[in-house]
Amino acid sequence: MYEFIAFYIFAISTVVLFGITVMSKNVLYAMTSLAGGMVMISGFFFLLGADFLGVVQLIVYVGAVMALYAFAMMFFDATKDIKEKHQNPTLTIVLGALMALVFVFIFSAPIIGENIEALYPVVEGVGNAQAVGMVLFTKYLVPFELAAVMLLVAMIAGIILAGKKMDHSLTTHDDAVDEVLHHRFESESDAIHDAEKIADRAEREGAGK
Amino acid sequence: MEATMLPEVTAAGIIIKAIIVLAVIAGLAAFGTYVERKILAYMQRRLGPMHVGPHGLLQLAADGIKLFTKEDIIPQHANKVIFSIAPVIMAATAFIALGAVPVFPDFTIPFIDVYVPSIASDINVGILFVLGMMAAGLYAPLLAGMSQANKWGIIGAARTAVQFLSYEVVTGLSLLAPIMLVGSLSLVDFNNYHADQGVWMVVYQPVAFILFLIAGYAETNRTPFDLLEHEAEIVSGYVTEYSGLRWGLFFIGEYANMITIGILASVVFLGGYNDLWIFPGWFMIIVKIAFMFFLMLWVRASWPHIRPDQLMWLCWKVLMPLAMVNILITGFVMMII
Amino acid sequence: MGLEQFKNRNVGTQNYTKLDLPRSPVTGWCKFKQVVSRTLSGELFVGLGVTMRIMVQSLVGGQSHATLYPFEKLPISPRYRAIHEMLRLLESGHYRCIGCGLCEKICPADCITMDTAYDKNQRKEVTEYTINFGRCIFCGYCAEVCPELAIVHGNRIETASEQRASFSLFDDMLTPIDNLNLQQEYQGFGAVTPNADENIKKTPLAY
Repeated sequence: MYEFIAFYIFAISTVVLFGITVMSKNVLYAMTSLAGGMVMISGFFFLLGADFLGVVQLIVYVGAVMALYAFAMMFFDATKDIKEKHQNPTLTIVLGALMALVFVFIFSAPIIGENIEALYPVVEGVGNAQAVGMVLFTKYLVPFELAAVMLLVAMIAGIILAGKKMDHSLTTHDDAVDEVLHHRFESESDAIHDAEKIADRAEREGAGK
Repeated sequence: MEATMLPEVTAAGIIIKAIIVLAVIAGLAAFGTYVERKILAYMQRRLGPMHVGPHGLLQLAADGIKLFTKEDIIPQHANKVIFSIAPVIMAATAFIALGAVPVFPDFTIPFIDVYVPSIASDINVGILFVLGMMAAGLYAPLLAGMSQANKWGIIGAARTAVQFLSYEVVTGLSLLAPIMLVGSLSLVDFNNYHADQGVWMVVYQPVAFILFLIAGYAETNRTPFDLLEHEAEIVSGYVTEYSGLRWGLFFIGEYANMITIGILASVVFLGGYNDLWIFPGWFMIIVKIAFMFFLMLWVRASWPHIRPDQLMWLCWKVLMPLAMVNILITGFVMMII
Repeated sequence: MGLEQFKNRNVGTQNYTKLDLPRSPVTGWCKFKQVVSRTLSGELFVGLGVTMRIMVQSLVGGQSHATLYPFEKLPISPRYRAIHEMLRLLESGHYRCIGCGLCEKICPADCITMDTAYDKNQRKEVTEYTINFGRCIFCGYCAEVCPELAIVHGNRIETASEQRASFSLFDDMLTPIDNLNLQQEYQGFGAVTPNADENIKKTPLAY
């Protein structure tokens, strides 16, 4: 009973939120509803008893959408609507509907054919995190490692792309600091001479007035 | 979220617990402002609030009345919906996070015989849930800053993103080593681990403790890392345009987060709510939380704050490698023993 | 001996000593060493210790720089130019103002308005005297020019009021006749603060 109520609450809010994400012309609305929808999806995992996945969904997508926000902040004025260009709205709608249909078929075909069975059913008495770990490091070890390598490649590529001037700080010019701290006058008399000149000039200007 | 309850837990017990958490923590969060003002004042040889009530104790009530009755201003060009939602996110996430944190030991109310669990919702990934919820709470400053059509707010929001992307890795990695030792993500298991071992986790994991404290201070925008609303640089950052009750919600959320970090540090590293010597558990947890809270104020009075680029440098180049080394060493030691 | 010594404002080249700071680290290893040494040197805890010491002193020792302001006020300096006061003659209780009009003339903000008439003893009396405190710049010329020490600057520094007019009439500024014995003589602009002796302390530069 409670699960049904919770499921429908989560389902409706997820669909509505993602609908806003797609439909809205305002960057802030779109991204906020995206974040909200991600949080709502984690509710399904909690309902299914997959606490670990739910929490991972929360943490990962909160961070990912936060990075998206950073980009939105750089590229758009958040308080104004985006002007969208629709070249061929009919084609977009038809293709989108077809895609949706294909996905429905793909996911419903096994259900209709009653071919769903868990390859690795949950072991009784084992926590969520352990169950995920057992599957990850046995059956899906190779894809897991491959994904890790791909992420590493992406990270290194990002560092190389962004990191050309990484050590050059915009806020602290070490050269300038060195110059100030370690500047020595050529000789002490020069310094005094400079000071006298400045004082003389000040005096003349004062007298002129 | 009611996955693995203890069998004797009833709905009444959970509701009572939730009310306790809401009432006590919301009250404490308000009281925290008074404590902060007093302690900061004494550390600067001032007196702090003195006039309303004995030693200014009723200043809370005065501030509350002021916040409730102040005019609620929404700037003209602000995005009104998001502007109104942001403070609610702050307060809500702070209290949702507290729902999965064990605050006091479990007890049974006499006479009506209702069992009140130590934790409102003992999901077995409690520690991750709390961290995730607090991370989601950072949407509040982000949305607030972006929706208010104010340059300072935008800078505050940008700093929120920077800060979040910096500390989040360190928080997770620093907690990973204790999690490996305990072998569970449930905060109750952490507490029981302390009871079994008889030694606090901080003895085994001093580096992780310090890393977690640093990341926790960044998570709650406390002083060494209060980039989001530093008055001297960006007027008030993301709360520049807020007034009245909405501002109050941000405030309560921030203090509730401080208490959550205090509870997490106490339960994970400092022995939780176990009895110590002659002191009962509920007393010990209060002492520990109070100390963690005091430490935050103490640090605020003592240390200057750092720049955003320094925070990123610190988190990515120093703390994250340290946390990784700590995890590796912990793993090797666990394999050998 | 001329004034050269005083005219040379560029004191930096004369008396300042240059710190012999180490160069900022260049290589990664040097930076790393600097970070480690700064982290482990414990300077942060020195800061914590200082604040804790101050807190203990102010909690236990009662040392505090704060005064409980509305109940406790620091004496203000006689040089302070607060809201004006009109003084009375101590013997007769009659107001001191002789209606000469000097304050009205000298006022650069043109905020003093007075009107006088001869009374039955052929003595000038002040029939009307107002100060527009919206215009007054508190320069103090009126008090300085007054030949009778009749208008002075008082010690009313809390000028918050519902109306500016509540300060500005002659009767409001005049010392109440009951408080004549409390009326304090104006000490003049050069006078020192009453608690000046207590405030004398060694400055940090006294070396």
